[in-house]
Amino acid sequence: MTNPGLIIFYYLAAASIASAALAVTRHKPIHSLLWVLSLFLHVAGIFLLMGAEFLAAVQVIVYAGAILIFYLFFMMLLDLPREAAAPRFSAHWPLSVLAGAVFATLIWRAQDLPWLPPPGAPNPTSGNLSSVGRELFTDLAVPFEIVSLVLLAAIVGAVVMAKRKTEP
Amino acid sequence: MVPVGACLALSAVLFAIGLFGFLSRRNLILMLVSVEIMLNAVNVSFAAFSHHLSEARGQVMALFVIAVAAGEAAIGLGLVLALSRNRQGVNVEDVTQLKW
Repeated sequence: MTNPGLIIFYYLAAASIASAALAVTRHKPIHSLLWVLSLFLHVAGIFLLMGAEFLAAVQVIVYAGAILIFYLFFMMLLDLPREAAAPRFSAHWPLSVLAGAVFATLIWRAQDLPWLPPPGAPNPTSGNLSSVGRELFTDLAVPFEIVSLVLLAAIVGAVVMAKRKTEP
Repeated sequence: MVPVGACLALSAVLFAIGLFGFLSRRNLILMLVSVEIMLNAVNVSFAAFSHHLSEARGQVMALFVIAVAAGEAAIGLGLVLALSRNRQGVNVEDVTQLKW
């Protein structure tokens, strides 16, 4: 454990898992959302550690800055005082624990299989913004356009569903 | 150099926590937040493979996942808003009309 990157990684991983576990078990919805914020920031640190600077920036700006604030805003706008008083888990929550544990065990065991491809040639420029941008606008330009269509459909769908029906 | 196996283990544990939250929480908004946790776990594994294979495409896929997560947040919260106008609260156990 002399590698400082490894120590930082284990700290970030432990903090992420703790934040996620607290987020799904806290009683008050606002507390859950704040723990999810902590999770997102720690995951951004993991992205930085893996040389994905652009992804870390997008994680902080879009995930923590936009999506999570949207959730918080929405939660405060709806103002559901009864939700915090009601039981937080449904009656079948032990089955949910079982499902999560079985899933994690399966994936954990799957790592031991020899399917992992050999590491690619070390390429110091592979993670930086210019190579990501080049991939995004050359080889993956069509998926990029499709994602923009998905976002357009999401915007229109959200407006249609949240619109109050008014009689003409 | 972070071992790729540790990243995948982290991704699996985060996904399992999100799965547990999705299946067990009663509040619809927190179920959507659990889906966000699962999508984030997938992003961790994309970034791990991108790092392992020295390939930028994994990061591009993670960007697409973030875009889909934003769409999911907008659509899901629009649905919750429409639901909460018609009934009191956002408890998923009250929404049983299509269950049986």
